[in-house]
Order: sequence, then C-alpha cells, then structure tokens
Amino acid sequence: MRFEALIELHHDELYHYLRRMTAGSTCDAADLTQETWLRAWGAFDRLRPNSNARAWLYRIATNCALSASRSGRREIPLQEDQDVPDEARTPLEQLEHGEELALVLEKVGALPPRQRAAVLLRYGQELRYSELACVMRCSEANARANVSLGVRRLRRELEVT
Amino acid sequence: MNANAGVPGVNRSRERVLDWFSRTAPLVVWSEMDSPLGPLYLARSEAGLCRLAIGVTEDNFRARLPARAKSSRNPDALREAQEQLFAYFDGCQVRFCLPVDLGEMTCFQQGVLRQACAIPAGELRSYGDIARDMGSPRASRAVGQALGRNPVPIVVPCHRVVGSDGRLTGYSGARGIESKRWLLRLEGAPVKEVPGE
Repeated sequence: MRFEALIELHHDELYHYLRRMTAGSTCDAADLTQETWLRAWGAFDRLRPNSNARAWLYRIATNCALSASRSGRREIPLQEDQDVPDEARTPLEQLEHGEELALVLEKVGALPPRQRAAVLLRYGQELRYSELACVMRCSEANARANVSLGVRRLRRELEVT
Repeated sequence: MNANAGVPGVNRSRERVLDWFSRTAPLVVWSEMDSPLGPLYLARSEAGLCRLAIGVTEDNFRARLPARAKSSRNPDALREAQEQLFAYFDGCQVRFCLPVDLGEMTCFQQGVLRQACAIPAGELRSYGDIARDMGSPRASRAVGQALGRNPVPIVVPCHRVVGSDGRLTGYSGARGIESKRWLLRLEGAPVKEVPGE
C-alpha cells in the first residue's frame, strides 16, 4: 500500500473520527489529523504488506486523541462545523445535523476516552470488533466490553436528560 | 477576514495534509507509451528510472510505485527514456544511456542487475554464469530471484539471462516467456527452441 493512496482513501474518515473524539473542536481535529499522518509517516516502514492499513491508521489516530485527552487539551462541545455540508460517509454522519444526534454526540464526547473511542469506532466508523481490538490493542472481548459500557452509559445519560 | 471562512473543516485539513505530503515525500514522475509488447509504463525518481512495466493496467502500475513517493504523470520528464525505448523496439542496437534507480534493492541484487547490464545485446548468460561472476557460484537461485525483482526490465536486460541448458526460464514482464523470446529475437540472440518451455 502506498502512503499517497492511504491519504486519498482515509484522510476524511480519520478527520471526522477525530472531530468526534475531540467533541467537535475543528482546530483540534485538524491538528490531530496532521499529527496522525506525521506519526504514520514515521512508522510506515513497520506497516507490513497485506496488513489492515485502515485499522493501523485508526490505532495511530486513537493514540493521538487519547494522548491529547490525557494532556488536557481543550475540548469544546460539538457546534463548529455542524452546518457545514461535509460529504456524508457513514449513517452516523448522514444523521449528524439532527438535534437528537447532536445531543447523542455531546454525550459521546463526555464518555471516558477509551469508551468514547470504542463507541465511535464501532458505530461511527463501522469497524469490526476484530479491527477495534487491533486499534485499541486489546482483546476482542475487551473491545466489546468497552463498546457495551459506553452504550449503556449513553442510554443512562439520555434517559435522564 | 479568514480566507478559509466557509470552507468545510475536512477540506482544510485535507489540503493541509496534502501540502505537507508534497513537501515531504520524494517525487516520482511517470508516463506511458505504446510498445510492440503492449502498453508500457515507466517512472523515474530523482535518482533515475525506477519502474518499467508492460502488460499491466495503469492502476496496477501506480500501485507498485515506491511506497512513500508522491506520484505525478509527466511525459516530458520521461521523453529521453521513451525515445531510447522507441529506438530499441525499432530494432536499433541501443545501449541504454539512462540513470537507473535501484535504491530499493539489496547490495547483492544491485550487483546481479549490474552484471545483467554488462551482457551485450545478442548474447546470453546463464544464472550460474552470473553467480560465478558475483563470486557466489552456488547462488544461482538467488540470482534468479534478484533478476525476477528487476524494477526496470529491458533497460536492465534481465531477459538475456537463461537457464544453463539455454532454456528460457522465468520472465514476469508482459506475456512472460513469450515476451522474453520476442526481446531476444529482436536483439538477434541465439534462442533455442526447447520443448516444454
């Protein structure tokens, strides 16, 4: 796989994922997207032929987002970019302009970072659990548990609201 | 006023990443030409010709360009190589005078390909001959593998290397052995007709 092709194929979805991971701060998402590609460039020689390049990129992006979250980078609620007609890619994106979904995304943004990543990767980016495990460097069972905990917490939060 | 106002964040981010990539990645230019063996694609890096492929699709060719490179179609940058190749296919005794980039090959593989370049048109050598010339007489198989990875066939004439019994073995370009035989005949080499090739 060529690096140029990876950018063509995966830039946009990584940006959208990171935007949600940073709860909608356009500035942070662009910075993290850039950081993801810089790290990918540095590690590119270790990407084995025929391995899952998409999962590899999501792993790097998730690491970038989690370190940013740990270092207390500013996170602001999802507002910016909401009315911008970005190309719809996933079912989640197609619904994103709805108020109800904005509320869900706000709650997703408030999940603990690993649960947030798990929920977004599974339901936003439509990764399989095996890919999720690869991205989060954990077992498939642990990946499922993170998604399940995140979803349960979301349900609870949304019922209360 | 912000010049990017109203531009979707994803587009701004993509432009930024592509701009960084253009400034960071080595540039490889490529082009295509007709040949008697079918469409021929070739590419060059700053160091020289780095890919030549016949009998592949454009997508397939581009997918095999150096992994970190930024690629751009630029026929002008490959004009000289194309002219030499046209002359070669016209049957002229061309000794290719083109810088070749073998930077992705190991030292041994580069040595094998240099040995292949030293074989004059119209002559043949065996894998064993090359192995002996390399000082590794038992490395015929490794020689075969190195020739099989030749990124610029024809210009580096790996087709002039044959089995010790004259059999035309192994050629991955275009139509395989048939193309190897065609190239050797074009150069006036003594090609054996061996049943079962």
